[in-house]
Amino acid sequence: MASIVRPAVLRQTCLATASKRTFSTKLSASFPAINKPATSVLSRPAVRNAFVKDALPSAVRVAAFHASGRQAILPPLPQVIDGTANDAAPVPPPSPSHGSYHWTFERLISAGLIPLTIAPFAAGSLNPTTDAILCAAILIHSHIGFESIVIDYIPTKRLPKTRVLFWWGLRLATVVVGVGLYEFETNDVGVTEAIKRIWHA
Amino acid sequence: MLAQRATQQSLRRLAASNPSMASQMVFKSLAVGSSMQTRYEILVAQRKNRPTSPHLTIYKPQMTWIPSALNRVTGSVLSGGFYVFGAAYLVSPLFGWHLDSASMAAAFGSLPVAAKVAAKFAVALPFTFHSFNGLRHLSWDLGKTFSNQAVIRTGYVMLGVSTVSAFWLALFA
Repeated sequence: MASIVRPAVLRQTCLATASKRTFSTKLSASFPAINKPATSVLSRPAVRNAFVKDALPSAVRVAAFHASGRQAILPPLPQVIDGTANDAAPVPPPSPSHGSYHWTFERLISAGLIPLTIAPFAAGSLNPTTDAILCAAILIHSHIGFESIVIDYIPTKRLPKTRVLFWWGLRLATVVVGVGLYEFETNDVGVTEAIKRIWHA
Repeated sequence: MLAQRATQQSLRRLAASNPSMASQMVFKSLAVGSSMQTRYEILVAQRKNRPTSPHLTIYKPQMTWIPSALNRVTGSVLSGGFYVFGAAYLVSPLFGWHLDSASMAAAFGSLPVAAKVAAKFAVALPFTFHSFNGLRHLSWDLGKTFSNQAVIRTGYVMLGVSTVSAFWLALFA
């Protein structure tokens, strides 16, 4: 309402809305960080001028069409062309140890955790050997889960150094935790018995 | 609000006006690019302007994908706690931390009852959710209960069972 009286308020509102705008396939030249090739044929000033006068601030133009919130988790980078524009996506070489065997191993670990999780509830606690097996299975299951998270959210193509850091950092962490659990299993009462005692404390 | 709406409308009208001039401009730029090299550059420019995937918020929250995402969240919480404890136990002698089971049980036992129940529930809910939802995932991996209706039905059952069992673990176990 106040924007009738004070045009500056309207302009600020439009700018704020524009900075929050989420995805656009049009009018991309006004957001060079997201869509860098401003020299693109399609976004030439001459073509854009035909649609909208440049006298309007670009943010206002965008605000007229986009009013949804911005989600800045891994926003898309400017698109690039690898090779020529008509190359198909590369098919990785088939490798069962990175594919079906790995997948089956993950499922066997997960399925094996079912009896190992029910056992302490049924028996009240676990003997040291079974407790160690449960800990090892949880450790492998966790490691595989964290690996998937690193693969999904730290893509090599986008963050190659961070990916290597996290990949080896995860392996180091798993070894450290494995040694720590070995110490706990050998020096203390075992994980299931410890959880039971804390839970009933 | 009404004034903003009116401004948006007028801006849209402005953008929609003068279409003949727009088409002339496009033809002129295409006519310039008559050689193969320029055509290829136009193609590359078009490919670089292809739309990217929208973010999660554009999708309707549904039983097919929300619990699947929460499965990863709850698994990360549980495994993260597991890793933090394992690593902290290994380095505890260096810093003089008391992470043996007797000390932790004594420390936990000294908390007020409400805090104990809240802490237990905060651990129990991710555990029950990940456990029961994990059963669904394993069943899908075998190709069972994989129709849309079955996924929705087992999803509601899983939510109910994991919530009730988490309350039971926090209050009575």
